[in-house]
Amino acid sequence: MGKVLMKGNEAMALAAIKGGCDAFYGYPITPQNELPEYLSKHMPLQGKVFVQAESEVAAINMVYGAAGAGARVLTSSSSPGIALKQEGISYMAGSELPGVIINVMRGGPGLGGIQPSQADYNQITRGGGNGDYHVLSFAPESLQETVNIVKESFSLADYYRNPVMIAVDGLIGQMMEPVELDQEINEKVSPEKTWAANGESAKRGKINKIVSLSLDPYELEKHNLKLQKKYHEMIANEQRYESILTADAEIIIVAYGTMARIARTAIKSLREEGIKAGMIRPISIWPFPSRAFKNLPTTVKTLLAVEMSLGQMRQDVVLSINGQLPVEFYGRAGGVVPEASEIIDKVKSIIGGHKNEN
Amino acid sequence: MKRITILAGHYGSGKSEIAVNLAIEESINTLVDIDIVNPYFRSRALRKLLNDHGVQVIESTIENSTGSDLPFISAKGSHPFINKDLRAIYDLGGTELGAKVLMQYRDFIQDREAIDLLVVINVFRPETATVEQIIESIKKLEDTGQIKVTGLINNTNLMDETTEVMILQGEAIIAQVAEQLSLPIRYTFIEETVKTKTHFMGENKSLIRHVAKHWL
Repeated sequence: MGKVLMKGNEAMALAAIKGGCDAFYGYPITPQNELPEYLSKHMPLQGKVFVQAESEVAAINMVYGAAGAGARVLTSSSSPGIALKQEGISYMAGSELPGVIINVMRGGPGLGGIQPSQADYNQITRGGGNGDYHVLSFAPESLQETVNIVKESFSLADYYRNPVMIAVDGLIGQMMEPVELDQEINEKVSPEKTWAANGESAKRGKINKIVSLSLDPYELEKHNLKLQKKYHEMIANEQRYESILTADAEIIIVAYGTMARIARTAIKSLREEGIKAGMIRPISIWPFPSRAFKNLPTTVKTLLAVEMSLGQMRQDVVLSINGQLPVEFYGRAGGVVPEASEIIDKVKSIIGGHKNEN
Repeated sequence: MKRITILAGHYGSGKSEIAVNLAIEESINTLVDIDIVNPYFRSRALRKLLNDHGVQVIESTIENSTGSDLPFISAKGSHPFINKDLRAIYDLGGTELGAKVLMQYRDFIQDREAIDLLVVINVFRPETATVEQIIESIKKLEDTGQIKVTGLINNTNLMDETTEVMILQGEAIIAQVAEQLSLPIRYTFIEETVKTKTHFMGENKSLIRHVAKHWL
């Protein structure tokens, strides 16, 4: 298969099949519907499972069940639908079940709207469900990057025995772009699922149980510390980012997903005008790539977080730079997509000396 | 161009971009956007540009509410079939489902010879990559919409990565479809970034992207 022209949602669906997805459970919501639509046609053709569940809550619990049986499982939804799935995601993290969740974000809170947004940042990176757990999460900016990460995410979920969330805004779900589905990716070697409740373990004389309930607080604390060890391993190994024109930068924009694409256009114009702007583009949003903010060149005077939300990611930038530089902010909400000119104006107002105290 | 041109094709085949290009360039005064499939990148988002070119936009959501995904179709959508002063382009939603919307107009259609139903094809869309896939999709479209396809449009592209060779690759496949179904290739659209002197099958037109955002 050479390069093809695909819509984000269908490209993610095909990438999931290529990543070895055995089963999909989901419930419709705009702007991600082409994803289940594509899978409803193509999963049965491949002898794989597609189920439209009666609700998001049902779908995530089907994911729990199929993952517990050792399958590679996917669900997809958009912001309010993801909120409904949070209970199941916490149960999966507690039971150490792998699974991939694709979130094609739209404006909130509540039902919000159907236009693109990044306002699920806190929902994704700060839990959402109960307990001390994290979901490994990636926020790609192009369809090629998205396809590669979706394919890889199944092996990452298996390796860490943890849910992985792909967070894209509605634009990436809806846009068209040339994409190569069969690019080589680095897959983690997944250990055999000897923990799965698939009938095999009984033959070995040990019955596997998949459960997140643990009534002995000392046992539950021990389990929590085991999970923490795993999260620290993710923080050590899975921080992903791209640094763009930072070496001589006076101001560094921090942006991910569609916002990073728009920031690229802004940086090109700013550079043409002689303003030294650069970008740090988080690819993983949990773990947040704090490493990218260590040892920044001394030319950098300011950071500027730019989001399609109102300062959610900025908090992680502030934590990462730890008071060493001011962190300015520009964002739009509710489904409004900023134009490059808005970012350019913001940068100029900062460079011009109108800095806020942070 | 006939008085009414209906553009159909798989979603992402380029119907909306072509609808806008034709509406601006040709003597068209009405663009009917009856895409109830797609929530983003719809031709109605270009209302101002089209109005400036003397084109009125009739759309499939409650007027000016781009934030809605209710499958609502304005009753005005039937006007071009009734009012012969209107020269219109219909932009259907993707796949055969988009054609379902057409069925409601069947009783209004009097001058069938004034109507073209053109199928937009990009062979780099994996669902319409082969002769067999394209023919199957055309049959489904005709069955669902209860209307005959009258021509094909070669819109083979990989956006700004398109080359002349790719357009010819598309032409080779689409020409086979045209032959098997006895249909003409009415237009070839050429991505504006492609510099070529080749004459492709049908009327050749440069495709200027209005719907897609420049930073995408």
